[in-house]
Formats: sequence, C-alpha cells, structure tokens
Amino acid sequence: MAELMPAAPNATAQTMQVSRLTRFRYRHRYLLGYLFILPWFLSFLWFDVIPFCLNLYLSFTNYSVGPLAKAKWIGLENYATIFASDPRFLKGVGNTLYYAIGAVPLGLAFAFVIALLLNSRVRGLGVYRTAFYVPSLVPAVAASLIFLWILNTNYGALNRLLSLVGIEPIRWLSRPEWVKPAVIIVSLWGFGAQMIIFLAGLQDIPRELYEAVEIDGGGAWRKLIHLTIPLMTPVIFFNLIVGIIGSFQVFTPAYIFFGTDGGPLNAGLFYMVHIYNNAFRFFKMGYASALSLILFIFILIFTLILVRTSDRWVFYTGGGR
Amino acid sequence: MSHKLSRRDFLRLAGIATGGAALAACAPQPAPAPAPAAKAEPTKAAAPAAPTAAPAAAGKIKIEFMNWWGAQRRPLMDQVIADFMAANPNIEVTNQETPWDNRDQVAATAMASSTPPAVMMSTRVETYKYAKEGLIIPIDDHVKISGIDVNKLFYPGEINNQRWNGKLWAFPMPTGGGNSSLYIYNKALFKAAGLDPEKPPKTWQEMDEVAQKVIKKKGNAIEVMGVDPVGGSASVSTLINWLICNNGNLATEDAKTLTINSPEAVETLEWLVEFTNKFHGGYSNCVDFWTGNNDTAPDGRFYKDRLGIWWVNVSAFSHLKTQAPDKYKDPQNAWGVALRPYNAKNPKAASHGETGLAFAWGQVIPKAVAKEKQDAAYKFVEFLSTNNKGVCYFLFAQDRPAPLISCNANPDYKKNNPYWDTVLKALEIDMSLPVTPVQTEISSFIKEAVEKALLGTAKPKDALDTATKQGQAVLDKYWKG
Repeated sequence: MAELMPAAPNATAQTMQVSRLTRFRYRHRYLLGYLFILPWFLSFLWFDVIPFCLNLYLSFTNYSVGPLAKAKWIGLENYATIFASDPRFLKGVGNTLYYAIGAVPLGLAFAFVIALLLNSRVRGLGVYRTAFYVPSLVPAVAASLIFLWILNTNYGALNRLLSLVGIEPIRWLSRPEWVKPAVIIVSLWGFGAQMIIFLAGLQDIPRELYEAVEIDGGGAWRKLIHLTIPLMTPVIFFNLIVGIIGSFQVFTPAYIFFGTDGGPLNAGLFYMVHIYNNAFRFFKMGYASALSLILFIFILIFTLILVRTSDRWVFYTGGGR
Repeated sequence: MSHKLSRRDFLRLAGIATGGAALAACAPQPAPAPAPAAKAEPTKAAAPAAPTAAPAAAGKIKIEFMNWWGAQRRPLMDQVIADFMAANPNIEVTNQETPWDNRDQVAATAMASSTPPAVMMSTRVETYKYAKEGLIIPIDDHVKISGIDVNKLFYPGEINNQRWNGKLWAFPMPTGGGNSSLYIYNKALFKAAGLDPEKPPKTWQEMDEVAQKVIKKKGNAIEVMGVDPVGGSASVSTLINWLICNNGNLATEDAKTLTINSPEAVETLEWLVEFTNKFHGGYSNCVDFWTGNNDTAPDGRFYKDRLGIWWVNVSAFSHLKTQAPDKYKDPQNAWGVALRPYNAKNPKAASHGETGLAFAWGQVIPKAVAKEKQDAAYKFVEFLSTNNKGVCYFLFAQDRPAPLISCNANPDYKKNNPYWDTVLKALEIDMSLPVTPVQTEISSFIKEAVEKALLGTAKPKDALDTATKQGQAVLDKYWKG
C-alpha cells in the first residue's frame, strides 16, 4: 500500500493544505460509497433485518396482539404444536407443494414457449410482445376476480370452451379435487414477467452459433435441444428459483376465491393462508411467526439444494458458475 | 492517530443510529396524566372515581372513530357525528371510515399500535380478543356514572354479545349481524309454484314442499332455487343456525364445553345432508348456484326471481329497497317475512336466530388512548348507541331495526314494512350464543365438519365428533390460560 500513499508534504502552506485534503480523501475514500448505500442499508435494517429478528423472537413466544412486552417466552412450544398437533399445517404444506409442482414447471414451459415464438422474425412482433406481456401487469386481485367468473361451473368461459370439445362442466371452485388445478390455471396468467426474462436470454444467444448448427445440417429441433435450451439454462435456473419462491407464497387467488376459509375441505388452504389465519383471524402472532420461519427455512433449504445441484444442468458460456 | 472510518465502524454507527430510532419509535407513550378531579363534569349518580369527564375549558378533545360504514352509510354517520358534536362542543370526532379490504389485518394492527383510534368498530370475537389481551377498557364504570340500564335498553341477545368475562366492553350497534331469526321469501315464485304466498314454511318439514316445487334445473345446474338450508358455501353458521332451531347449542352456557356433537347437532347435520342430496342433487350443485353473484348487488338471485327463500339478517330490507325498489314497494305481491323454520319432530324446538358468533358489531375504546380521550370516546359511543339522533336515526335511515329497543317503536317502520311485527319478534328470539375469544378457530373446525358431511366424505356424526375433539382442545387450552 505504501506506493499508493501521497507524496510527503513540502514546506509551503498551500502544499500542506492540498496534502491534508488529499490525505483526508484517501483516508475517507470509501465514505461516499457508504453514504450512497446508506438509504438502502437503513431500509434493509428497518424492513428486513429487524422484522426478521423480531419474527425469530416472537416465534418462541405466545404473542397475540398489543405491546411486545406482553409476549411470554414459551420456548419451542409453537414448533412442537405445529409438527405434532396442527392438522392444518400438513394440509397447507401439501396444498402448497401440489401448487408449486404444478404451477412452476407449467409456468416456465408456457413462458419459454411463448418467448421462443416472440423471438422469431414476424411482422407486428412488437404488438404480440406487448399483448402477451400486458396480462402480467394486471393486479393479482383483479385477475383473480376475473377468473372467479371464468371458472364458474355453469356460466364460466372456460367450461364453455371445454363444452365445445364435449367435456362436461368442471366444478373448478366447488369440488376439492379441482380447486388447486384452478389456482394453477390462474397462476399462468402472470407468465409475462418470466417470458420477458426468457426473451432477453434468447436474444443474447449469438447468431453464429445457430449458423454453425445449420452448417452441420441441424434443423429447428436440434437447434432448440442442443443449443437454445443449454444456453438458456442460467435463465431457466433464475426463473425456476424465483418461481419456486413465489409459488411457496401463493395467497391472493386463494384469498379471493375462498376468503380465509380455505375452500371446500380446505383444498385451497395454502401455507400463506394458514399463516394469515393464525396471525389475523386467530390472533396467534407468535404461532404465525413460527410458521413463517419454517417457511423461510424451507425455501432457503430448497434454494440451496437447487443452487448446489445446478452445476449438473446449468451451462454458463464463460465456464463459470 | 488514524481517523479512518472502517467498514466495521460504519456498520456500528449505522446500527446504533437505526437501533436508537427504532427504540424511540417503539417506546411506550408517556402515561397520560389523570384528568384533574376538580375539572370533572358533574355526573348523574354518585360517581366512582375511575372515569373522569372531559374538561370543557381545556379546548376541544379530538377523537377518531375508526369504522367501516362506507357507501350510502357514510353521510348518515357524518350526520350522527355532527349531531354529537353539536351536543358536545368540547369534543371533535373524526370519521375515520376505512376500506373493507384486509379488514382483519387493518383492525388488528390499528389496535396493536401505540396510537390506536379513540373508538374502533369491532366484531364480537375481536372485542373479546382485545379484552383478553387488555387492549380495551370495559365500559361498566362509565355506564354506572351515566346511570343507564343497559339490560332494559337493549335486546338481551344483543347486549349479551358485548359481555365477556363478567364485564361489558361495548354497546351493540347495529344489530348482531348474524343470520337472524327471520327470512325473506319471494311471493311471486311461491305463487308460480302453486304455493300459498301467505303461508311460508314454519318447520323444516314444510320446507320440503318449497324446495320441491320451486326448483328449476338444467342438467345439474340449478337455475331457480326454492330453498337451500345451507344457503351458500358451508360455514359454521350452516350448522349453528339450524341447531338452535332444534333445541341445540354451540356450547354449554359457561362456554367451557362444546356441544356440537350432541344428538340434536347430529340430527341437524343429517337433515341438512339429506335435504341437500334429495332436492338439489348434492352440495356441489348448491355451491355452483351460489358462486359468482353478490346477493346484495342489483343482479342478486332474490331480486331476479331465482331464489324462493333468502336467509338474511335485518340489513336485507335496506338492500331490497336500494337494489330492487319496485319489489320493495310491493310487499303484497313480491315479498314476505317469516321466522326461521324449526324441527317439528323435536317438541322442544322453536324458531331462533343467533346474534352473531363472530360478527356482532360494537364500538370499543382502546386502553392506549389518553384518559380524557377515553371519556370523550365513551360519550360518543353512548350517543351513537343509545341516542335517538344516533342509533335510531342511523338505522331507521337504512330500514333496519336497532338493538336499542325504543328505536323500533317508531311507527314509520311499519309504514315501510308491513312485516315489522315479525321483524321485532325475530329480534326477541335471537340468541347470544356462548362464545370465547378462540371461537374463530373453533368455527373453522365446524365448517370443515359440515363440508365433509355435505360432500359425503364423512358421516355427520363422525365429522362432528372430529370437530368437537379439535375444537375442544382449543377451548381447553384457552381456559387453561
């Protein structure tokens, strides 16, 4: 570091002054950077770190509502209850996993296929891209309300369409076995965000690579399987992680369709609805904190597993990870 | 000497600054100074020392009233507040009308904050929960000072909803909000089906004929429904409303033991399942019939002659007046009112309604607000709930009866509603069921049991036994503290 230090001060006052300034600048060269990140840092502290720590603490208490001082430390009791005697916990986990397994791959596939189509050279491409992206801008509440009608057994548009191919009306929202597929269908509505990311990834693939495949006699299928998909794996990986995190937190459609009741036989009682019920309907904030911490740990473990196993299937062009 | 600001120093400083800010924000407010006794207004009775009246000379006391009286009710509430302020010039009330979305969340966080509104509209179970957590004040002392006799002023089913743990926490306003003892029926549909429109069913058994004759189906889809005792998606009320018409109850009087698997309860659920399967071809057909439309919207099923019997509470008249004014004006031919049918096979059974397992509104006063604001808040709550310019004005304008008995003697009610005597009878036989702060959780088990039975995945008795076991565990834990 010595060679980076400023030169020794000379005798004149002016030079000394300049030298002091230089030294000050050198010593505090990171200050400006810290000042720039300060707003983010404070909000991170206030909106993430402190609530997380509070949540952690509350999960070991019987906190209901009101002053925190009233929260009584009960150790692991909340966790014991969750795993030993809460029938809704397993129901919520089961429903959420079902949804995640259905919604994430379907959403990815759907968004990827549409992105592939929108990556081709056709007239009016901008219009198509806008048209496919706009639905994802519709607020989830509004979209869910629209789907409440689309999924109506007797008058819904979806059943009308299905009836054209001879399928009997499906009781999307009134039979427990159809509730989760219905919510998965609703989730596809918001594919636009993933599609845009896929599209950006597709446009990053160098043209000459496709030309190389063509020279080797490869057709569209080979290009897709041997070039596009491998080169898109980092983007697929990103969308997969984001999709899984989002799917574990599904709430709005179930809340709009069934309120906090969970629908027929609790088929729409997703994990987040269970947390909400415990926090705001049953006023068991400590218990809800424990539930949310379990969700956090579950998502964290799942994400870590995905990251750890990603080197087996995610291909980075630079060779890095 | 180095003055380098290391990363560690920076983080430490930022941490201290943020932590300090957090602590400052979360610190409890200084305890409000007790209002000086010398400034207390003279009161009617020999006043206990606890509540002091607002000092008139110290300027206006500002209180906020957090409520959910939106839409056409907003100007009515504004008028009530204006009348209150005219009578109490030293108190200024802000109408803090709040959107309905995420109400549970908004209400809980407002109450839990260090600066709650001085008066908050609260449901019965919320009130009990707040009371249990020590977040609101009981109003017994204020009532004593005021000298009013709440047992004479209100219907028993209404005032008892606001009592918990031996104390009174609010006045009822408006009426309970549960499914009351009355129902509205569609005379035109009755006539078209060959039924006597002046003889609505009084018993479960008489409902069979209505269900059978009025219903119109297209395949599995019910286009016109005669009567559906489930009345929408299954809920706790599906069972309880009929159980109390079969001489049953939710729990024992002391609210310590659930009785939802009593012989009466099992019989009630078996009847619901049998009725639904026999006349509607299963529960799912009913749910599909009810999905979509909002029954208080202009295209509501009753207004559009798609529903013979509508299980409602007393707010139905207001909705009928607003959404189907032509129908409303023609009670002779369009609609009638009767009491909820009971099980004629049970000699002890009679018509009843419940004044709200969870939804029975009252106005509560948070403990966290300053003493003088609490006293001003009580004045407002009492005006709102017991004054002619409060509850009577507010509810008459909505064509609904009041929990305050004297309001309902207004002869104009009868001019608008020829079935007014039936409405009053319904209010008398509405019951306040034994409920605890954990009722919402218990209700969720009962709802599931009803669904299991209706969907045929469990026998009624087994489903109710399971719900009782689950609910009782919650109840036992609550009473154990």
